[in-house]
Amino acid sequence: MHAAWTVKHKPASVAEIVGNAEAIRTFSEWIKSWNKAVPKKRAAFLYGPPGVGKTVTVEALAKDLGMELVEKNASDYRTEEAVNHFAGLASQYGSLFGTRRIILLDELDGLTGNADKGGVKAITEIIKTTQCPIVLIANNAYDPRFTELRNYCVLIEFKKPATSEVVKHLKRISEREGIQVDENALKFIAQRSEGDVRSAVNDFQALAQGKERLTYEDVSWLGHRDRQDSIFNVLRMIVYGRTCMGAKQAVDMADVDIDMLFEWIYENVPEHLTDPHDLAQAMDALSMADVYRGRIRATQDWSFIRYVIDYMTAGVAMARQRSKSAGWTPFKFPSRIQILSRSKAERAIQFSIDAKIKRKCHISASRASKEFLPYLKIIFKNNSNMADGIAKWLDLDDEMIKYLKRS
Amino acid sequence: MSFEMWAEKYRPKRLDEMVDQKDIVERLKSFVKARNVPHCIFAGPPGTGKTTAALCLARDLYGEGYREHLMELNASDERGIDVVRETVKTFARSRSIGEIPFKILILDEADNMTSDAQQALRRTMERYTETCRFILCANYSGKIIEPIQSRCAPFRFTFLPREEHDRYIKQIAEHENVQLLSDGVDAIFEVCGGDLRRAINTLQAAASVNRPVDAKLVYSITGRASPADVQKMLITAIKGDFLGARKQLRDMIQKYGVAGSDIIRQIHTEIFKATDIQEPWKIKLAGIVGEIDYRLVEGSDEEVQLSALLARLVEAGYEMKK
Repeated sequence: MHAAWTVKHKPASVAEIVGNAEAIRTFSEWIKSWNKAVPKKRAAFLYGPPGVGKTVTVEALAKDLGMELVEKNASDYRTEEAVNHFAGLASQYGSLFGTRRIILLDELDGLTGNADKGGVKAITEIIKTTQCPIVLIANNAYDPRFTELRNYCVLIEFKKPATSEVVKHLKRISEREGIQVDENALKFIAQRSEGDVRSAVNDFQALAQGKERLTYEDVSWLGHRDRQDSIFNVLRMIVYGRTCMGAKQAVDMADVDIDMLFEWIYENVPEHLTDPHDLAQAMDALSMADVYRGRIRATQDWSFIRYVIDYMTAGVAMARQRSKSAGWTPFKFPSRIQILSRSKAERAIQFSIDAKIKRKCHISASRASKEFLPYLKIIFKNNSNMADGIAKWLDLDDEMIKYLKRS
Repeated sequence: MSFEMWAEKYRPKRLDEMVDQKDIVERLKSFVKARNVPHCIFAGPPGTGKTTAALCLARDLYGEGYREHLMELNASDERGIDVVRETVKTFARSRSIGEIPFKILILDEADNMTSDAQQALRRTMERYTETCRFILCANYSGKIIEPIQSRCAPFRFTFLPREEHDRYIKQIAEHENVQLLSDGVDAIFEVCGGDLRRAINTLQAAASVNRPVDAKLVYSITGRASPADVQKMLITAIKGDFLGARKQLRDMIQKYGVAGSDIIRQIHTEIFKATDIQEPWKIKLAGIVGEIDYRLVEGSDEEVQLSALLARLVEAGYEMKK
């Protein structure tokens, strides 16, 4: 079938990589210096935003120089075994077959929390004595976790390539795919990607694949975004919106209802608003949206819905003040939706059980739901004798019993 | 083990059987003796015997046929003004047959009534005093309007003292042949805080697992996160891991069914105990907790409200490091 163009048209040589000429030169000189002697800094730390070509540079250079590239995901370095394996690799420059070796540890950002503290430390230790070049890659090299590690690395920053550079890359792909493309269309895609080459290529493929010709008209709709928009675009408009109106309009474009949209936003806000102040502000807006949902319920006055919308869209959009783009963080399906979407039928059963408890236990149905139901569920799951007795005592029917045993 | 809800099975039937609230019980007994009962307000936290006392009073007063002279209404379920107008009136105005000329209406969770309904109730109480006496049960008497309060004899129920609680729980365990270890009793008290209904339900659910009831079982059963879990969530947030903290919160609410109000109460307590939080921040955080606590009442989703609080804690943790 169709291969992803990001893979299919990956630069085979550093010459094909767009942008970051300076960074690539520095890196390539450092790698080459290993031929003379082990350099003072035995690791290179490539950092910069997603999709600008950090990994691709390492891969292409290894190919150009005929070196063996051993690629590892940094988060694997939690176990002693993996660390020892890593140390073994790093202990000699040449591989069994005489080719020289580069060790690449990608996605260092993936190391999080205390559990991985050991990982960073192990990596640092190995760098001190490594006999072959180690390359580290992360979005942010200045994360406090890397303070110690940085001392042993050549730091090389990768920046977003200019729009014209991205266009150049897209043009090469279009030639290879045999697609005629308006220059304006490519420019549009490149601009929209904001220097993220990978996402530009992805967008380009989505729009152009299977076509003989791609015009500006074919792509410009991306700017208007009609009702066909996926929930992801709607979310992007909210989470990355710059104006209140823009964020609010997203609601009309979503083909899910307000509560569902709320869930999507609630699920995804934390990963896209990385600054603690922004996050607190956004969650506060969602909290206020929820307060208005409560007020609608209390008053049955649906006109309050406009404030729910204000807070959950514009409120969230305006919270973004300091956060950097989360880059390639995909939007996730709301994980708690299963519980919320519990069917009406099921809720009806719960109400009827509450009513039975109320009759027997001198308690309101709503309190029964809180103070008896959870315990009944435990009993019904653990002890069928006791459950049978209680079922008879409360006069529960089969459906109710099934509900209690299941949930 | 018997197969009904123990909270009901062991509910005292007569005033004499009531374990605690001694002063209240004595006064209620004197009403029975005088064969006259004023309008009453039973105020106090849940699970302290308000409804039980009202039911015992009725049984002592009317004997086994007490149900004919008694009506129980739950304000949480039927709190509208219409219910007061119709149901209460219809019951209140019809004369009782028998040696006692009045009936008793127990209005449970009366503090959940709207103030309109309370105004209507006030007139009904006044007009039908001859034929009907009201016992209003409420967690907070402050939520009952002044004019009603002034027409009622107030009774303040308090949580059972520790010894009474333990004695009662142990007694039930013995009756039901449940092996209850002493750390299990401690855990039940810690989790339920003297709310006897909750304590008995907890004991029964734990007993259903068919092994000795110890602290571990109690915690896993009630699922009310033991205080350490709220503490853990708090620290996770303060250290900056919002997603981790939200995950813990979600588990507490969804897997273990812990009430949002319980979680926020514990967060409040833990903030002042936490050593990871600098002193001046504690009072700032208390203010934020208070705000969310208030929104929790108005909002519709506990997890959303509490995670907004977690986000504030993350922010505070970040600021503190500066």
